[in-house]
Amino acid sequence: MSIISDIVESTKSIIKGMSVTFSYIPKAKWTVQYPEEPVTLQPRYRGQHLLHVDELGREKCVACYLCAAACPSDCIYIVAADDPRAPEERTGVDERYAEVYNIDYGRCIFCGYCVEACPKDAITHGYNFELSVYNRADLLKTKDDLLITKQKQSPNYRVAFSDEDVDSEYKEV
Amino acid sequence: MTTAESVKVTINGQEFQVQKGAPLIDVCRENGFAIPSFCYYADLALQASCRMCLVRIEKMPKLQTSCTITCTDGMIVTTQSEEIEKAQRGMVEFLLANHPLDCPVCDRGGECELQEMVFDWGGLEERFTERKNYYPEKFLSPIVANDPQRCILCKRCTRVCDEWMGEDAIEAGGRGANTVIGTFGGWLNCSQCGNCIEVCPTGTLLDATYRHQTRPWELERTVSTCTFCSDGCQMSLGSRAGELMRVVARDRYVDGINGEFLCIKGRFAHPFVNHEERLRTPLIRYRKGGKLIPATWDEAIRFTAAKLQEIKDAHGANSIGVVGSPRLTNEANYVLLKFAREVIGTEHYTASEAFSLAPFFKHMTAPLATHKDIRHAKTIVLIGGEPEELQPLTAKQVRQAVRNGGAKLVIINSVPVRLKQQATQFLHVRPGTEDALVLALAGQTDDAMAARKMGVEVGEIEPLRRMIDETQGNVVLMFGGELSTEAQTILAQLPGSIGDEENRRFLFHPLPLFNNSFGVHDVGLMDGKLNATGLLDAAGDTVRALYVAGGLLPAHLQGREQALQNLDFLVVQELFATDTTAHADVVFPAASFAEIDGTYTNNDGLVQRVRQSIPPVHQAKPDWVITSLLADALGIDFNYQMSASAVFREIGEHVPAYQGLRYPLLKDESKPVQAKYQLAGQRAEVADVLAELRQRVERMTGAGDKIMETPEVGHELFKIGTLTGKVPQFHLLAAGNPEPPDVLVSPLYQITIDSGLRRDTAIAGD
Ligand code: SF4
Ligand code: SF4
Ligand code: SF4
Ligand code: FES
Repeated sequence: MSIISDIVESTKSIIKGMSVTFSYIPKAKWTVQYPEEPVTLQPRYRGQHLLHVDELGREKCVACYLCAAACPSDCIYIVAADDPRAPEERTGVDERYAEVYNIDYGRCIFCGYCVEACPKDAITHGYNFELSVYNRADLLKTKDDLLITKQKQSPNYRVAFSDEDVDSEYKEV
Repeated sequence: MTTAESVKVTINGQEFQVQKGAPLIDVCRENGFAIPSFCYYADLALQASCRMCLVRIEKMPKLQTSCTITCTDGMIVTTQSEEIEKAQRGMVEFLLANHPLDCPVCDRGGECELQEMVFDWGGLEERFTERKNYYPEKFLSPIVANDPQRCILCKRCTRVCDEWMGEDAIEAGGRGANTVIGTFGGWLNCSQCGNCIEVCPTGTLLDATYRHQTRPWELERTVSTCTFCSDGCQMSLGSRAGELMRVVARDRYVDGINGEFLCIKGRFAHPFVNHEERLRTPLIRYRKGGKLIPATWDEAIRFTAAKLQEIKDAHGANSIGVVGSPRLTNEANYVLLKFAREVIGTEHYTASEAFSLAPFFKHMTAPLATHKDIRHAKTIVLIGGEPEELQPLTAKQVRQAVRNGGAKLVIINSVPVRLKQQATQFLHVRPGTEDALVLALAGQTDDAMAARKMGVEVGEIEPLRRMIDETQGNVVLMFGGELSTEAQTILAQLPGSIGDEENRRFLFHPLPLFNNSFGVHDVGLMDGKLNATGLLDAAGDTVRALYVAGGLLPAHLQGREQALQNLDFLVVQELFATDTTAHADVVFPAASFAEIDGTYTNNDGLVQRVRQSIPPVHQAKPDWVITSLLADALGIDFNYQMSASAVFREIGEHVPAYQGLRYPLLKDESKPVQAKYQLAGQRAEVADVLAELRQRVERMTGAGDKIMETPEVGHELFKIGTLTGKVPQFHLLAAGNPEPPDVLVSPLYQITIDSGLRRDTAIAGD
């Protein structure tokens, strides 16, 4: 093969390739200018978990360990405890509550099985996806990070169809 | 038992030859046909209330409950059909009609028989729309929590309470759909064994000490042996993340001599294992009167070895005493004995045992009874002792032998013990005169004198002798620590002199106090020159140093507190700071039974495994490891390579009764291995011993008042000792189990125990 045909062939492929590239320039852009602009998440996005509370502010979790049992990557660690106080003063909705509730985000695969397993609707996936940390140990989130009353909401995302009120549970922090 | 006649039964078209009169449900299950049941419980009275075990039997109208049907010839049984399934599904639906959907907060969740049954026989939806009964969760005692709405009324609990424990403390009350399990006055004043909790198939009766702690599937299970009394119950230790959470005997986890039976200590006294007061590091007291200072293992071992060497060089080997303990494993005691003999070379070794059984072992002429033998015995003679408080499993077997097996029970005691209720004959003797009965049994000639000393009618002895003579089956001779050396010898020889008859066999069942009382005798630790009190009395005189593993009994220390001060050097291996460690120069933190591998020998002579459930807490080490480290520092390497099984292999080579035993042979707790004790023949010197016994009885004053009061439930079981004292619930029980103002909240949160209420130390010292 001659050198001429080489040049012709490669120029052809460059033009072919670049034509695809250039054809996208006038089209609508999908790149999100995160973190300058908030990301839009789908309502059923599975982000960092939320532990919910009832209308009196008591934790809904009764430490039944079903989420831990369902978890395929074994990243939920619970210590159950007894709360003998009167129902209004309790930490949780029941006498039985989770004294410790940890999720190791170094292992969590966001499969949502824990949410599925929970008989008390105490755990759901939130939207927070900003989980990167400088220290691997910080991937272990405790009740203080997970409780809906304590979890900080990031300003960096919005949820699609938010007019349908999907994240109304979020509190301003 | 009558000889079994075999009959033909057809189950689902297959023919089987089975024993006539066997419960049909058992026969079906043994042959691989699953039959669901709630209320049926082997060896308890029949209940037939759950109706889950229905089968179709030809020529019988309607479906029949297989738990109440016994096999007869030509029976044709169907266990599976549409009709049966429909009935069973209907029953489950009825059971659930009043059952709350509580599983997430129920401690039984995950090991609940009702849950399992619903998986197989439950419907997808509930058709009853009526309001369910509601009762709040409450406490029946500091140890038993109760959630009445979960009950399915199988009445297993009431039956074990009555038949096993003889307590009859819980019963069903109310009628129809409002029937609940409850107790008189709403508060349980029983022996708190927790067996009702164990057998309850649902979460109605729950362990209040493990309440809302974790979930059964989170627990690592280890089969081990109880460390509290000589019965040696098999149990399953549930641990999580290095913490012992609970002890159960549920038959799905463990299948030992005790079935699902445990007593309060076995089941609830385990929190000492992870207690914060456990000794953490070795401690050294560098100068007398100084403080115990934490040290490294290396330093403590070096210090101890140097001191022992120094004392040995200055005062000779016999100036060092070594004391083992009937609480420790065979391995620990064996290595200790080897240390005493081979490293130190002293003749002063012993164990802190409450009483010695050495004369019995030397002269025994009949084999040891296992707990199963006791259950099926025909005559049981109980001399002294109080098994319902000190060996609860034995007491349960005796009770069942009498109640369910029709055995005859004769009790010879100075106290009207509770087992008396079951006794055919009760010889109420003067305190300390049990020896006289043994003398009377040995021959007719001393009846009159013996009766006089014991304070009973002469005529009361003959029926006992006759009862033994006429027994068709096993005669079990049980005795406690009341018997003197001579009486033990004579009793041990008794079967030999009476002789076996075709249908009668003698069996022995001594009642020592500790989990490994047999083991200390077997390895030879009880053969030393002095016993524990002897060693203490010689302290500061011929004995200059003591090496104590497992602590001294409070009973031995009483009145001898000064003795420990007189020693030049005292080394102690312990779990907690005790009266003994208070005087120690070096304290080693030992590992508890849940942290080690080893064996205990129970009062059946069964050698049973103790298995490690959690790693040793803090810096604790197994007792035998500490001893071998010391030996090493003194220049002798025992060469066990940190392996308990290597120690046991050596025991198997050196202890005749354990010949050939290895850990793999002890693997299966459902097939326990009995040590091969040598039976003694008729001994000539027994005539002398008998003469001595006669003299001893003659010397008895024949005065002294009999104790007329029946001892309270728990007077020994609930006593606060070093180990049981670590369980808050025991303090409530020891203070008389007061009922709290509010039974809906654990009494622990409501009652503070005034230490003045506490009773004195238990004789077993735990
Ligand atoms: S499944 Fe729900 S209630 Fe149960 S432990 Fe998990 S979060 Fe708590
Ligand atoms: S409390 Fe438990 S064992 Fe007792 S009757 Fe109810 S379900 Fe059966
Ligand atoms: S009867 Fe004895 S061996 Fe059994 S659980 Fe109680 S103390 Fe332990
Ligand atoms: S097991 Fe037969 S009726 Fe309950």
